[in-house]
This record gives sequence, C-alpha cells and structure tokens, in this order.
Amino acid sequence: MTVQPEQADVLTRSLPLEMNCRALDEERFCRCCRLILRRSDQLRDGWSWEALQGSEGYLKKTTLRPLPAGWGPEQDGGESPGAEPAALQPDPLVSTGSEEEDADLRLPSNSSSPVLQWEYHVLYSCSYATPVLYFRAFTLDGRSLTLEEIWKSIHPNFGLRLQNCPLNAVSQQEHPLLGQPFFFLHPCRTEEFMGPVLQAALDHGRYAHPGFWVHEGPMRFYLETWT
Amino acid sequence: MSSLPDNNDSMVQMLLQFAPFSSALEAGFWHQLTQKKLNDYRLDESPKCIKGYYYNGDPVGLPTRLTLEFSAFDVDGPTPARCCPALGTLYNTNTLDAFRATDKKALLEKEAKEIWDAIQSGAALKNPSILCKFILLTFADLKKYHFYYWFCFPALCFPEGLKMIQPPVTLEQVFSQRQISALQESYDGLCLKSGITAVPFFLMKYTEDTVEMALLEDWKKFFTDTKKVTVGVYDPCTLSQHPGWPLRNLLVLLAKGSEMEVVELLCFRDQTLQGNRSIKHSVVFQVKLPELPNNSVCLKSVGWEKNPKGAMGPRMVNLSECMDPKRLAESSVDLNLKLMRWRLVPSLDLDKVVSTKCLLLGAGTLGCNVARTLMGWGVRHITFVDNANISYSNPVRQPLYEFEDCLGGGKSKAMAAVDRLNKIFPGVNAEGYNMSIPMPGHPVNFSQATLSQAQKDVEQLEKLISEHDVVFLLMDTRESRWLPTVIAASKRKVRKEKEKINSEYPCEPGKLASITVFSVDDYFPSICKGVSTRDRTLDQQCTVSRPGLAMIAGALAVELMVSILQHSEGGYAVASSSDDRMNEPPTSLGLVPHQIRGFLSRFDNVLPASLAFDKCTACSPVVLDHYEREGFSFLSQVFNSSHSFLEDLTGLTLLHQETQAAEVNHSP
Repeated sequence: MTVQPEQADVLTRSLPLEMNCRALDEERFCRCCRLILRRSDQLRDGWSWEALQGSEGYLKKTTLRPLPAGWGPEQDGGESPGAEPAALQPDPLVSTGSEEEDADLRLPSNSSSPVLQWEYHVLYSCSYATPVLYFRAFTLDGRSLTLEEIWKSIHPNFGLRLQNCPLNAVSQQEHPLLGQPFFFLHPCRTEEFMGPVLQAALDHGRYAHPGFWVHEGPMRFYLETWT
Repeated sequence: MSSLPDNNDSMVQMLLQFAPFSSALEAGFWHQLTQKKLNDYRLDESPKCIKGYYYNGDPVGLPTRLTLEFSAFDVDGPTPARCCPALGTLYNTNTLDAFRATDKKALLEKEAKEIWDAIQSGAALKNPSILCKFILLTFADLKKYHFYYWFCFPALCFPEGLKMIQPPVTLEQVFSQRQISALQESYDGLCLKSGITAVPFFLMKYTEDTVEMALLEDWKKFFTDTKKVTVGVYDPCTLSQHPGWPLRNLLVLLAKGSEMEVVELLCFRDQTLQGNRSIKHSVVFQVKLPELPNNSVCLKSVGWEKNPKGAMGPRMVNLSECMDPKRLAESSVDLNLKLMRWRLVPSLDLDKVVSTKCLLLGAGTLGCNVARTLMGWGVRHITFVDNANISYSNPVRQPLYEFEDCLGGGKSKAMAAVDRLNKIFPGVNAEGYNMSIPMPGHPVNFSQATLSQAQKDVEQLEKLISEHDVVFLLMDTRESRWLPTVIAASKRKVRKEKEKINSEYPCEPGKLASITVFSVDDYFPSICKGVSTRDRTLDQQCTVSRPGLAMIAGALAVELMVSILQHSEGGYAVASSSDDRMNEPPTSLGLVPHQIRGFLSRFDNVLPASLAFDKCTACSPVVLDHYEREGFSFLSQVFNSSHSFLEDLTGLTLLHQETQAAEVNHSP
C-alpha cells in the first residue's frame, strides 16, 4: 500500500456517493459496532464491547502472535543482567518441596515460542467523526513495547510496505477513556488511508452486497485493515 | 541392541503429563493494580479476590495461558465470551522483604486444602470452578515501577502419578463427523442452558449419532451405571499429546467421588479460524484412576510457576517506561520527533540534535524563546547564564517567567529559567549560572576584589564554553558578546549571535565579516565593526521591538543550529546565501546560511554571506593570538582600556582613517 496523498484525494473524490458519507456520527458508530459485534460473534473473531460509565465504551480485541525468530527484548525481564536482586532468587522452600517431585507430571513450560499480546481498541472520535484505532503490544508479563520494538516485531518485508504509509500516522497518547499510554492511528489520516483501500475492495468486487456500505461495511473494513 | 530404550519410551508416553499454565498479564492489569494499591488497598495486605480466565481456542504453538486483564479486580464483572473464569487470591505485600519472606508453601497448602475440602464435601461438584483457582503474590514498587510477582496454580497430586491405558487420540480419530456435530451442538446447548458461554467441566454420553451432556452436579442422574464414563474438560492446552492444568484437580475429584477404575476424558478444544469453527482436534484420553488413600488427609500439592530461567522463583517486570510519567514524557517527546523525521526528513540525524549541549548566554526575551525551541527539538542539555532578575515587564515577552517570579525584587533569571524548563519537561538537563560577563571598556580594576571576580567569571565562562557544543549569544549589549566570541572562536565552537530582524539598518555586504563560525544576522557586523553610540541605540531597540521579533529570531537561531548540525562539515559548512535558494541544498533540511537578515516590515528574509573580516575586534587572528598567549592579562587590558584599544590592535582605526580620507578625497 503505497498511495501518495494526491492519488488518495483523487480516489476519494471518485468514490460512490454512499461512501462519501463515511463520516460517522456517534450514534451510527454505535450502531455499526453492534452490527460488527453480532457478526464477530458468528465468526468468533474476538471483538467485544467494553462499556464504561454512561453510554461510553469501545470495541476491544486481544490477540496473541508468536514473535519472529531472533526477536528477544527482555523476554525474561532481563534488564538487570548482572546482579539479580535477592528477591528474584529461587525460593528454597518451594523448590525443594513437592514441586521438584512433580517434574514427571508437568511439561516444561517454556517449550512454546515467545509471543506478544496485541490489544486493539476502536473508539469514536467526535472531532474527526471517524473511528480511531488505539493499540499496544505487550509481553506475557504485561510490559508494553515501545514503538521501535513494535517495528522490530513486524516482518521486514511488511515493515517496508508500512513505512511509507500508515505508521506515519501513529502517535503515542493516553487512551481517552482509560488514561493509559497507547499508540493510536491519528484520525486525520483515516480517510486518506481508508479511501483507497475501500476503493480497491470495491474494484475487486468484495463486499458487493448492496447493504454493505450502508451498514457496518466501512467500519468492518477499518478493522480488517488495521488489526 | 536391546529393546530397553523402547520400553522406557513407551512407559514415558503412557504417563500423563500436564501442560502448566503460563501466567499472562495484560498491560492494563499493572495499571489497575497500581490504582488499587494507591486508592483502595494502601497498606492493607489482606488477601483480595481477583479473577482471570483461560481459553480453549488458541492456535497450536501458543502457550497455555491464564490471563489477567485490567478487569481482574472486578470479580463479578463479565468474563470474555467463550472463556472460562478462574478465581484467584491476590496477596499484595507492602515491602519487598515481606514478598520474599511470605511462606509460599503455606499459601499453597491453604489453597490446596480448600480444594480438597470442596472435593470431599461434594461442594466441588456443584461449583467446579473451585478446581481451577490460582494464587498471585505481588509487590509493587511504585517508586521504580518494578512489579514483583509469582503465580501459583494449585494442583493436588496423586502419590503415584497417572497413567494412560492407551495413547491419546484426537476426536476425529474416534468420532464420526456426525458425532462431532452432535457433540458441538450438545455443548452449545449445555452452555445455553447454564447461561454461560463456556462450561469448564461436563459429563458426556454418546451413541453412534447422539451426544448428551450434563453438568458435574447431575452425575447421579446422568450416569445410571458407571461402566463407561466420559467426562469433558474445557482444555486450554493446544498440544496433541497433553492435557492442560485444569484436568489435574478434576481427576482427583473423579478418583475420590467414584469407584471407577478407568475414565474417558474429552479435552474439549474449540477453535474458529477465519469463521470456520472446529472441535475435531479435541483430544481423548483413557486414564487409569489410582486409588486414593481412604482417609481425609489432604494430598500433596504443587503449582508455583517457574520463572523464565526455569527456576522456582518469582518474576519481576520493569514498567517504568510505560508508567513513570517522566519516562512517558521523554518517550513521547522523542517519538514525536521521530514521527516528524519519518514524515518529513527520513535522513535526519536526530541523535546529533538531541545530544547537542547548548549554552545560552542571556535568559531574556531571546533566551526564553531559544530554550523553548531547543526543547521542541528534544535537546536535553541546556545551560543559562544571566545576571539579571525578573522584572514586571518580562513575563509577557519572556515565556519562561510568570508574574509571581517578579515579586520581591524578582527571581534570578538563570535559576528561574532552569526551574521552568524542569517543570515543562523533567527529562531536561538544565543548569543556571547567575553571573556577569566582563566587557571591553568596562573596567574591572577598581579593587583587587573586582579584579579577581572578573578573573573568576572569565574562568567560569571558559569552562562553560569548553563544556558545550553550541554557544548562543543572546545578551542585549554587544560589548558583552565580545568575550564569549573570543573564547568560542579560540575553541572553535559554533556560535549563534543574537539576531536582529531590522527594517531600518541596511546591510553592508562589502564590509561584513562572517566570523570563523556562524552569526545569525548579527545586529550589523557585530563586534567586527567596532562600537559606536549609534550601535547602542539599536541594541536597546531589541527589547522594545515588535514582540513577535524575538520569537521569530529565537526560532530561526535554533532552526539554523539544527541545519548546521545536519551538514557534513558542521560548523565549517560553506555559507549558503540567497543566491543558493534555487540550488541543490547542502543538507536534508535545506540551506545553511551564516546570516539571516530579516525585514519585519516586509515579512522578508535575506541570506547575506561574506568573508571573515581580518580586522574583527573579536575573532581576527591578532586578537585570538593575544588571547591565547596572554590569557587573562590581555583580557583585563581590554576590559580596562577604552574602546579604541581593540580597534588600534586590529588595525580598524587605521582602516577608518583611510576610509575617511578616501571619502574626503572623493568629495567634490
């Protein structure tokens, strides 16, 4: 996906009428979310609705992905390579007790490859009238990755493709509802990126169903594109 | 070869081995624990109820996890769809010592006893989730944002281990397609009937085309004879030869509650890939149930999680980067700059900018604006020198000060500027020096005290200049710029002079001397042109100039510094001039002028360029030579003499005379 802004503009302008109504109001956003959730429940692809006080809430999905080989930032929390604090030493009472005798019954636990947990939230942005994707990736011990580490975890071929495009719009910001640091795709470029993607899908005859664009279509597409 | 190894192999294979849970914490869990500790628990160390969940739909290769997310503290809250909840007990200690000293064996035994009692009393049949409990021991060091933790997934142990009577098989090996569909329907029905989306344990009967299911509590109704009993367990493991941890305590329950010798176990796995649901990879085990000693003494228990080193010890995660507000500010500032680089100038060498040490001589209108722009560029090392206090007229033009700073005679500018930088961005490394800079024609020899003070000031300034990479001359008298110019020229530092965007004073290209280093539009040829009363009136104009001027000038000075830093020759870069505007720029950021001369009335800039002036009173070879040979004795001579001393020394006086003579001769 290497679409220049100028091209994107041309594409956006040539999109069918319904698609130019891509601007969502909050009510339509919630309606789309409900449709997506219903569909997601059939597909069992893991989207859920996290409700907060009042009517506020967001779509959420967490997935696990194995790490590419050779990528290993402190899988073992190994930031203190030298002097390991005494608190992290094996506990003699536990390690000499029945736990050791249990070895026959217990598979070695770290036989599987290291994984990253990816958390995606889709919120509604009032100012841009678009869905906004917030995301973060963390190791199994709950440590969030820096954007650079995330880059490293992306396959180089894919990374090259992304470099010229969407991650340009990634920034770090506090999650507006949770107050925790997240990365997010800045909404000002959502339309620019989604325009060509939607157009390409139309050209390939995907989602030809007439109701698609009226209902959850663009939102669903947003999710498929970014997560 | 003997057949012994083979025998051993098959022995091992027939031994039932369980995949232990790997603890999986979402980032939000630690944020929530921090909130709980600060707002609710405080010093309360009593055990707390928390909730995790596990899932049986993972693709092969993922570890078998028990996940805790930020909602873990809301025990009555919803569990993610099609996941099984696991209740846990949180022991959050107040100190690392308490964390270490906690008797983990006792914690485990207490929990195991509860499970054992529930099995004995039959309560576990009614509420089988008790079979899948966990313990979490934590210590949150909220000063360093280090979190120590240790999970335990208690499991009761059969004294003799467990044996399979035949190797495990997948569901599709033993069930027809029709039976598999029936099983799936039956399981969904059981969920629906129970009002949940995942049933952790269930009973099962099947024929060639039907499958029936029931909850554990309906055992007696469901199984009329116990010849053939199948029990299902929602299994989070993805390995084809092994069950996950939840089965362990279920087997104890089965062994204790029935007289069966063999039980068929369905490890139920339910995966949906791209919309296609499949349960056929579920695994069926035939397990021989050992006889349990016929007394009520609790079985031995295990379950503490190994750390990543494979040892029976706790884990620690350092979250300062994502939780310490100061670290967050730093990473956000850096990230913003990186994004700017990605978007605009991929070849920009940001490290060079960020690591540049900047000395700001003057913390006034220009000093404040230069400092703020440097902060915007992520520059960490900023030092102020100023001898003035903040006055009432300052805050509106000098963005590092406020009204309060003017009270009681005013705070020292250099110190107040440092405080404010730290408030704006704690990651900055700022220092302030409240000191004067000796000037030519301003005698320092009134007393021994004044002389030695001047010497001290000179030494301090020399030290500061040698410790920094770039020196900004942002003072409001030109004389005060002489000394730092001499020192910096001698040390070959990049120097930015206070700039003037002046609509009145014409430039004089022929006489301009761009000094060995850079000057961003000096007032006029700066020190190079000697000192006159006319100059001084212009100097004073700076503080009463249009308010936007200092911001424009401060911003340009910093942007110019950044451009210079991107040039391969750095401070020795050849000057760009206005004529170069159509040419290939020398750096990724564009031109590198030595001077920017602006005209606010026309909103226009020009980039003059000229050769170094060999009669400059500050940076000409003769001055530098004297300074380098004689040091302070030369400097004090300059301070104590009249203005003409330097002009005589450099030959400027002679030049003036010649010029005047020429003009006189030329006049009609």
